[in-house]
Amino acid sequence: MTDTKQITFRVRRFDPDADSAPHWDSYILNVPDGMTVLEALHQIKAEKEPTLAWRSSCRMGVCGSCGMFINDFPMLACQTQILHFGTDVVTVAPLPNYPNVKDLVPNLEPLIEKHAAIKPFIIHTNSKEVDEPTGEYIQTPEEREAFSQFTYCIKCGLCLAACPTVATDPLFLGPQALAQAYRYTADNRDCGLKERLEEIDAFHGPYQCHMAGACSQACPKGVDPAFGIQLLKRTLVLDSLGFGKKPKHVAKVMPLAEVVKQIEEFAPPPRTVK
Amino acid sequence: MRETRLWSLHILAIPIIAVLLGMHFAIMHYAPVFYGMSVEEARAFDTMIERGKSVAQFVIYILLLIAGLYHGLYGLRGILRELPLTPALVKVVDIGILIFGLLIFALGAYVTWWTFNAPLGG
Repeated sequence: MTDTKQITFRVRRFDPDADSAPHWDSYILNVPDGMTVLEALHQIKAEKEPTLAWRSSCRMGVCGSCGMFINDFPMLACQTQILHFGTDVVTVAPLPNYPNVKDLVPNLEPLIEKHAAIKPFIIHTNSKEVDEPTGEYIQTPEEREAFSQFTYCIKCGLCLAACPTVATDPLFLGPQALAQAYRYTADNRDCGLKERLEEIDAFHGPYQCHMAGACSQACPKGVDPAFGIQLLKRTLVLDSLGFGKKPKHVAKVMPLAEVVKQIEEFAPPPRTVK
Repeated sequence: MRETRLWSLHILAIPIIAVLLGMHFAIMHYAPVFYGMSVEEARAFDTMIERGKSVAQFVIYILLLIAGLYHGLYGLRGILRELPLTPALVKVVDIGILIFGLLIFALGAYVTWWTFNAPLGG
């Protein structure tokens, strides 16, 4: 049998229908090596407190649902092993900088609203090409590398919870949205910087970042949003000086015939069995 | 004006202040090293008036005034606008700081101009 250690979980509870203010409840569990905070919460719910609420889904650090404030640091509960803390007490609270829905469930609307505000999609000047494509947009590995790491964002919201500027200025777009603004602006297929300027070239945009770097430290996917914000600043300054990426009026496409030819070239051999 | 331009000017003001403030220190506080006179002599009213008649000195101090005021007041605006202000108060902060900056610039420029034109001997 695996050795276990007795750990006290201090969980912040809040039920808007019953409580006027949040309070802390404690639960003691025997924790085996490798047990995650999410597993512990499941055990608490199953054995001790069936009303405990949190949000989770994939259990493997992909969906970004189980962001919580664990031992005073924003983390994904499914990726956090309890015994790695080396403490007898583990505190679990909802993510800060978000309204609290219930117990450990944050309201992630600010994250989603800020993300949507920066138009997180590729914007083309050639709308005809979008509706009736005549070919493929070409992107070299080097062009992809320019923004690659920022595509790993899973929208878990830990970076906003860690950000000291978001804590004092709720209107600050925050590391997630700003890094994504860079991700799309740096994409060679995108021509949407001008359309994003109203949101990102404003007081609550990248210049409000205090460069604490807490967002990059908190990101469970190894993205460096603080660096993304600095890159976005560089993009905006170059654009304001007239050295920015010029909008392409004609999409850079490879004729479909060429694409088909390439596909045929690398196509598998014809089927031998029908 | 785009925030990028305001911020770029804020950053551009840093090296300008560093150089001009360095010159100010050289003239006023390190006069024994650079001009062979005591600090008391360098700070004496007559010496200042005499120095103030130089076109270079006039330009240096006007530029230092602009760069210092802009850098400081943009920073102050940043601190104030981080507070949870209503849109109306945001306008008050922006316009208030602009007016305050222009008034202080007018005062500083007047003093520099007066020194530039002042008769020798006070």
